[in-house]
Amino acid sequence: MMRSRQLHQQTWILWILVLACLTSCERCQEAECEGADCNPAATPYVLDIPPFFPPMDIPADNPLTVEGVHLGRMLFWEKSLSQDGSMSCGSCHLPEHGFSDPSPYSTGITGAQGLRNAMALINIGWASNYFWDGRGASLEEQILEPVSHPDEMAMPWPDAVAQLQASTEPVDYPNLFLKAFGTAEINSELTTKAIAQFLRTMISADSKFDQWRRGETSLSDEEFAGYEIFLREGGDPETTPGGQFGGDCFHCHGEAGLQFSDYLFRNNGLDSTFVNDAGLAGVTGMPLDSGRFKTPTLRNVSLTAPYMHDGRFTTLEEVLDHYNTGGVPSSTIDPFMKYTTGGLALSPVQKTHLLAFLETLTDTSFIAASQFQDPH
Amino acid sequence: MQHLAKLGVLNLEANFEEMNCKRLTMRKTQRHVCAWIALCFLVGQGCTQVWWWNNEPIPGTFRLDAQLEWNAMVTELGDVNVDHLGHTLRLDNLQMYISEMELRAENGEWEPIGDVALLDFSVLKPHILAPVPAGEYDAIRFGVGLPSEINTDMDPASYPNDHPLSVPGSAGMFWTWSSGYVFVKYEGKFAAEPGQPLLEPLSYHCGTDGSFRSVMLEFEEPLLIQSRELTVQELVFDAALALVGAADSIDIVADPITHNASGTTLGGRIMDLIDDAWSLR
Repeated sequence: MMRSRQLHQQTWILWILVLACLTSCERCQEAECEGADCNPAATPYVLDIPPFFPPMDIPADNPLTVEGVHLGRMLFWEKSLSQDGSMSCGSCHLPEHGFSDPSPYSTGITGAQGLRNAMALINIGWASNYFWDGRGASLEEQILEPVSHPDEMAMPWPDAVAQLQASTEPVDYPNLFLKAFGTAEINSELTTKAIAQFLRTMISADSKFDQWRRGETSLSDEEFAGYEIFLREGGDPETTPGGQFGGDCFHCHGEAGLQFSDYLFRNNGLDSTFVNDAGLAGVTGMPLDSGRFKTPTLRNVSLTAPYMHDGRFTTLEEVLDHYNTGGVPSSTIDPFMKYTTGGLALSPVQKTHLLAFLETLTDTSFIAASQFQDPH
Repeated sequence: MQHLAKLGVLNLEANFEEMNCKRLTMRKTQRHVCAWIALCFLVGQGCTQVWWWNNEPIPGTFRLDAQLEWNAMVTELGDVNVDHLGHTLRLDNLQMYISEMELRAENGEWEPIGDVALLDFSVLKPHILAPVPAGEYDAIRFGVGLPSEINTDMDPASYPNDHPLSVPGSAGMFWTWSSGYVFVKYEGKFAAEPGQPLLEPLSYHCGTDGSFRSVMLEFEEPLLIQSRELTVQELVFDAALALVGAADSIDIVADPITHNASGTTLGGRIMDLIDDAWSLR
């Protein structure tokens, strides 16, 4: 009896504690909102995650808002973020090329060129470790670099911020920042946050393949045959246990979450040495990472030529030929490369089918979407 | 007029600041009260081994650290080793799913400590952390790979992104919806001849429902897990034993590759060897 009364009293105390904690939690959330650069008055942007896609991890200190996304779009296309006012982010990420650059190396305002091809901006909200060598830990961090890089937009961030702060015509940036972040005081952090918000809304999910996955259309025989080659293991089963004479594409460009990339880093047998560009090893300092570069998505791949980190292949046929012959041996070449057995050895017909399948990943509604175009 | 208006604005700003200040002070007080309640609660609870509201024993924390070895010597990915046939090789990547992890209690009942974990030996100390009821345990068991109910016909996109079976969590470890996940990735390079550079690819990818294996290991002495205490147990995986065992051995030069999304004999043999490559320390 005594024990029962004691338990009853303890339960009441527990309830009081729970209530106290709930009140405290509500406060914490407010405090977080104050501490971060979010504006409670801004309108939350509801991101529509397409079927079969995984959830998108959005940083807690940079939630998407309608005002933030709008500001990000203005900034993405803002040429005054370059030193001579001639380039915006969009200058190297052209919509008609799947938001990538058709030149192997992008040319900056001084005429200087980088060492790598501009990556396509497609479903980048699901990516991780940005740049070909993964040196950008977050999307926000990645955006910091091109603006101030001397071979790109060459604008020191303090100058870029001053330029935006002084801008009232034709775009009143202080007011746009006020609406998005609750402050008219512009800084580089808020600028990159806004652009990151915009980039996270750039979702491609309406290719013919997507429509087929949703049961809205059918693939042609040629396209479906290409899909099967895409999903089959490479190699002759006589020499490679498990080999299925396939394209072996799915290992790195897998369809999990319909991303067509696992966003990991691999040496796909382009070179035998890595003196000019060590790839991931340049970031980690690990010899095992030499020649390893990020696996790009295959979405809109027919629009994003040239291919590879240095844009060395101008056509998809050249890319298939590279994998078909097996690549160049090196101490860090990925085990998926079949160089020891003479490559994938796909027949010309199989290559045609594979190309037909890759074409089904083209999403013309994405590249033409009005909300991603230059608003200036 | 302008001057008065300005004064008015200043007054409004002053009022606003005052209100804000009061609000902040109230909030601070509230936080202090909460902190005191929490502190009293913790101090009161801190003296006992049972939860005060239901008298249930407070669990301890069990951490299972995975340790990579080569012939009973600690090793790391990237180290060059020699196998049972004298071939020089280097492991570059070793990842495997383990599942249905359980500890056996004194009464013979199995206590679950985790559903699924991806052991990635490129991480310095891959480990599993779980709350476990205080008590003595004499064995641990787990599956190498995934049970069929979660291996196939499951969409990785249906898991939250921090789950080992999610799209980012399983990056590089997922085949297709029909064939499921790669259970074990054992990758590296070996020398074709002694003294030659390590250029030949070694690539064992094992999976499919038929490749699922179960491991059970008994502790030499009962493992004592105490309330609120952290107990660490080392689980050793000897990568050399994935190539040679009591009943079988694999020649990496003759059989350097298996990608058995559809199941292969070599993949099954490797999984059998892996089954016996575990020990406790």
